[in-house]
Amino acid sequence: MSYGIRLHVWGQHALFTRPELKVERYSFDVITPSAARGVLEAIHWKPAIRWVIDRVHVLKPIRFQTIRRNEVGHKAPAGKIKQAMNRGDLAGLQLLVDEDRQQRASTVLVAPAYVIEAHFELTAKAGPDDTEGKHLDIFNRRAARGQCFNQPCLGTREFVAHFELVAPGARLPERDPDMVNAQHGFGGSPRDLGTMLWDIDHTAPGRPSLFFRASLNEGVMEVPASDSPEVLR
Amino acid sequence: MSMIASLVRAYERLPDAPPFGFSSEKIGFCIVLNSDGTVAEVIDLRGDDKKRSPRMVLVPQAVKRTVGIAPNFLWDKSAYVLGVTAGDGKRTADEHAKFREAHAEWLSDTDDAGLLALLRFLESWRPEHFVPPIWPEEMRDQNIVFALAEEYRERFLHDRHAARQAWNGIGAAGASAPQICLVTGERTATARLHPSIKGVWGAQSSGASIVSFNLDAFTSYGHEQGDNAPVSEAAVFAYTTALNRFLEKGSGHRIQIGDASTVFWADAEKHMAELAESFFAAMFDTGEAEDTSKTEDKLQTKILATQLESIRLGQKLTDVLPEIDPGVRFHVLGLSPNAARLSVRFYWEDDFGQLTANYQKYLKEMAIEPAPDGWPPLWHYLNDLAVLGKRDNVPPNLAGDWMRSILTGTPYPLTLLTMALTRIRADGKVNALRAAILKSVLIRNLNMEAPVALDPAYKDNKGYVLGRLFAVYEQVQRAALGRNVNATIKDKFYGSASATPQKVFRTLDAGSQNHFSRLRKQNPGWAVNLEKLLASVTDLMDPAGDPIPVSLNSAEQAMFGIGYHHQRSEFFRERDDKNTDPTEADE
Repeated sequence: MSYGIRLHVWGQHALFTRPELKVERYSFDVITPSAARGVLEAIHWKPAIRWVIDRVHVLKPIRFQTIRRNEVGHKAPAGKIKQAMNRGDLAGLQLLVDEDRQQRASTVLVAPAYVIEAHFELTAKAGPDDTEGKHLDIFNRRAARGQCFNQPCLGTREFVAHFELVAPGARLPERDPDMVNAQHGFGGSPRDLGTMLWDIDHTAPGRPSLFFRASLNEGVMEVPASDSPEVLR
Repeated sequence: MSMIASLVRAYERLPDAPPFGFSSEKIGFCIVLNSDGTVAEVIDLRGDDKKRSPRMVLVPQAVKRTVGIAPNFLWDKSAYVLGVTAGDGKRTADEHAKFREAHAEWLSDTDDAGLLALLRFLESWRPEHFVPPIWPEEMRDQNIVFALAEEYRERFLHDRHAARQAWNGIGAAGASAPQICLVTGERTATARLHPSIKGVWGAQSSGASIVSFNLDAFTSYGHEQGDNAPVSEAAVFAYTTALNRFLEKGSGHRIQIGDASTVFWADAEKHMAELAESFFAAMFDTGEAEDTSKTEDKLQTKILATQLESIRLGQKLTDVLPEIDPGVRFHVLGLSPNAARLSVRFYWEDDFGQLTANYQKYLKEMAIEPAPDGWPPLWHYLNDLAVLGKRDNVPPNLAGDWMRSILTGTPYPLTLLTMALTRIRADGKVNALRAAILKSVLIRNLNMEAPVALDPAYKDNKGYVLGRLFAVYEQVQRAALGRNVNATIKDKFYGSASATPQKVFRTLDAGSQNHFSRLRKQNPGWAVNLEKLLASVTDLMDPAGDPIPVSLNSAEQAMFGIGYHHQRSEFFRERDDKNTDPTEADE
């Protein structure tokens, strides 16, 4: 993995919503590959590169908490936004939160911390100037300085992700000793995390979801490569 | 494993669950086959009544027939199965041919003895063979099922495991637009809508959904309804059936904890699962609602109670219940309603041994002297935290979070502490239940030590000593003025004494002098005893170290409550033991 990076991310809470429990949200046990990709893309992304998540180290015990939040019931329709743009007038575009409030319960992860191991691939949009070394340097520099295009989050925007680059060759951050038990896949039998969302296939018609069978082995979740049969299409 | 996946597994173990894709149909006859495909017997399944009404049998769901010829799987009317009919039967030959052809195709790669017998029978069968006495005339146009000779008393051919698997495969192949099911990981037809879940306390009686997408903010990437969370039809059928079964009253799989309807199940063979489940129910619920009228049940309950007692006293699960494998996977799911939907409050899955260990830990931390009567179930504690002690007022969220902490053995929600303190301040009641809650939060969340029973020498915590002191002042007042005081110093001052002691304790001290002077006239002996006690408590306080601080934090307030409870119940205990309560004599 010559172009691999490692990023330590943590936060107060996280919510990686399970698709089947989406309205009354319930989080996956571990960050999903697509959420991890979102964190990396917030730090550095260009059309020339595509992030691939290799594995996730879980550093803190998996704990849940239930909270209730007010959310909005509808989305601003894309068609109306387009109309407003053509018209040059914002009339009729707003969503009134007070009139469209939904109280939803969420079961969120408490104090998660991960090390995301990932690498990137150059896409067809890469020009002659785009070399892997260049993008790797950009990412490492930006991550080390704490720069990001937008604040990365752990699942939903409310849950800010703090991040820190794990420099090449440096040791991983310490794992919480409370984690080292059979509950987190230590001592032989991995913890079965069920079928986890791998990512959305944005290129296929209908944008289907891709899944994989996730498990936590000694605190590490391996993420299959996109062309492996483990990714269920 | 996700919750829905484990419910699907639980469905497979349900003893009499309607299988997916099956329906009840009127069946008249059963053809009993030998394994070589020859006919052993033909059995009349119809009832003895005048109309000879056929029996209702669970069979693979019937196909919708319009004008085409479409055979059912492993059963059908005689025209299809045998090619015989009572009428003129223009298409009978075609229908029978189709039945034969379809089964040959469906069962092409089977190696099941029963299904092979059927195939052999169909190969050798000719409609001309249909002659009495083996084949009765009444059989014409009746629905017919099959069975194997060695097992026709237990099950029909379509009840065999292989037949069910084949039938599931056929159903999946016929559906359109297959997607990956996120429960099973298989590529099958997905459900658009999920059936409702009934029986959750507080939810609509017609049922509510766990998986639903009823507003567009809940959808993603333009997917509609079930496509947002592709779950196969079979998995949807399975998890809703299992969950609804568990949520039924008296199913032995549910208890109510606060607003969370809690269901639980064990992943084990029947006997062990039942044992583990009833044990769990007894741990968290006294089961007083259960009707134990049968003597057999009563005996069972008695045995269970003894075993549970041993567990509660800290014995190992393997010693008390050797028939339960501590490695049995146990699932606990808490559901609570929210606006026509159900929300998963908590979901816990681990070994039963771990569960028992966590339960024992919870009890150990809750232990307090004097103890509440018996082993109060969790909802007793919760009711004591609710306004007016009503179950409806149990703070939502708290119940679920607390239950989750007990199951996982992790720190309790801190709202538990504030809630208990708030309730104590509001109604001034410090009983064993509340003191136990305070103590367990201190131990588990704040890593503090708290005495189980009255510790007269314990002076590490100002709150504890002040709590005792407060109880002594109250006792002095009671001794001096009797029990018929309108507002005791507890009623007036408990809240401020526990939160801002400096404001109150000087007043209390001054007041106690008045009480003492009165008591000395009435009962000098008792006055001396109480004075001695008062001195022994105040001696614990270090005059240099701010003995009565301006304020106490919540942990110290909790210790205050525990100290008060200990000291106060000590007075009551003395009265019980010696039966020499002078107040009693005064009155």
